[in-house]
Amino acid sequence: MVPLKIDQLRKKYKGGQEAVKGISFDVKPGEIFGLLGPNGAGKTTIISTITTLEEPTSGRVEVFGQSVVDHPNFTKKQLGVVHQEVINSGFFSVEEILAFQSGYYGIRNNKERIEFLLHKLSLYEHRHKKVKQLSGGMKRRLMIAKALVHTPKLLLLDEPTAGVDIGLRETLWQFVQELRNEGMSILLTTHYLEEAEQLCDRIAIINLGNLECVGETKELVRQYTQKKIRLTLTESFAFKTNYLFFQEGPDFLFIVPPGKPMGEFLAELQIPVHIIKDVKIEEGNLEEAFMKVVKAPGAEK
Amino acid sequence: MMTPFLTLFQREIARFLKVIVQTVITPFISSFLYLLIFGVSLGAKMPSHQGIPYLSFLIPGLMMMGLMSNAFQNSSSSIVSSKFSGDMEDLRVAPLSNQQIIWAMSLGALVRGLVVAIITFLVGSIFCYYEQGSILGIVHPFTALFFIILAGLIFGLLGISVAFWATTFDQLSAFSAFILLPLTYLGGVFLSIENLHPIWQMISKMNPLLYLINGLRYGVVGVSDVPMEMAIPVSLLGFILFYIIALISLKKGSFQRW
Repeated sequence: MVPLKIDQLRKKYKGGQEAVKGISFDVKPGEIFGLLGPNGAGKTTIISTITTLEEPTSGRVEVFGQSVVDHPNFTKKQLGVVHQEVINSGFFSVEEILAFQSGYYGIRNNKERIEFLLHKLSLYEHRHKKVKQLSGGMKRRLMIAKALVHTPKLLLLDEPTAGVDIGLRETLWQFVQELRNEGMSILLTTHYLEEAEQLCDRIAIINLGNLECVGETKELVRQYTQKKIRLTLTESFAFKTNYLFFQEGPDFLFIVPPGKPMGEFLAELQIPVHIIKDVKIEEGNLEEAFMKVVKAPGAEK
Repeated sequence: MMTPFLTLFQREIARFLKVIVQTVITPFISSFLYLLIFGVSLGAKMPSHQGIPYLSFLIPGLMMMGLMSNAFQNSSSSIVSSKFSGDMEDLRVAPLSNQQIIWAMSLGALVRGLVVAIITFLVGSIFCYYEQGSILGIVHPFTALFFIILAGLIFGLLGISVAFWATTFDQLSAFSAFILLPLTYLGGVFLSIENLHPIWQMISKMNPLLYLINGLRYGVVGVSDVPMEMAIPVSLLGFILFYIIALISLKKGSFQRW
């Protein structure tokens, strides 16, 4: 059963603004799926329709085979959600908040799971504090704990690391990977593209409500970026080549298709090996691919 | 099946207990002052109504006034503060149905209203003991309970509806100050509408709060400005009406953060 299937989703707000314009993708079992896009691309709107905070204008959203509109009670139980904005509930302590949250999901006595999460997210010594007494990072971790009290099968993380320092970000991502290894499927949005590249099995890039591309992370990077080979030479050499290249002092920078084998490339250049002082390879990264996709909307279509 | 509902109900009660000074002690002091000034000092100059001393007449009125405003405040401020902090979204995201949310919140409101009504009754009884030499009895306990439950639920539902509709704190307090408070004071809390000009009597009878206040007065001391054959159906109708309004508010209203 597919954890999440989004089919031709459209969302038009009352003001007439169309935030999502017919997007389709799905999240496969046990994968970390990255939903990327610039601000205002429609990421949060998509997450809001999955959680039923917003109703789709048209199209279908299915969680484990059931429509979120027709069977919200079923789909909500499968979901854990970490919202983008920090919640500041004023009345209760960390421990109480987690106990209430468990209760909403029908779990009466959830002490063991709550304690596990408190330890795991380094909140245990703060469990009696109220939310306003917590630091920004602790609040984030509390929100993650809240999303996990009922051990959801599909976790939605809407920029869980916005404004979080690098050390905490790393621990959070480690935890996300652990959850995935336990079989949880994860949909996340983030602005940290380097992290998304390391973490996500597959990625969708959306822009202005349109899906620009979706696929395996490595494949997308390959498809949308170029490989650069920098040769530093000891003496000048007249290249006869079809590759685009730039000379920068003693360096020659070649733009080659991604995945081009080095040996083949050098053989094609017919360059004597003894005049090569140094070779540097610069592979494209997700950031580069992202910029390319977002700057040229509809690149794939 | 029941756990999500019970959890929210418990949370509603736990929330007002966390701010006990505001939710329980304040009503205690205000009912003490009302009873002291209106019941004892001014009450000594008031004629008895159908054989009921003014102090005894006033107590059920004050009970209902405290019950209504506290029930309203419980659900409305719970929702409004949740909207403000953002955890209202959690309720929408969790597998709670609209019916469960409505019942949990209106029952939570009823509990707070009931606590305030009981406190007012106890304080009133002490005054009665000093003034009249005996504590206040309850003439028709089941009738009293009926009107307490209905009023608590109705005002809890009203609080839900208004809080979902409101988009600022100002709108919420405007509703309390310009609609709820006048209707309460004009609903016969402090006096019998028999003392009013016939035209004002007619207008008063269009005030739904009159039926709840007099219903409880009938239950506690056995007198009422309106017959129970009227007060009971009007209250039941009010409950059904506000239940539907609350349900619509939840369906159409926003759970999103301010």
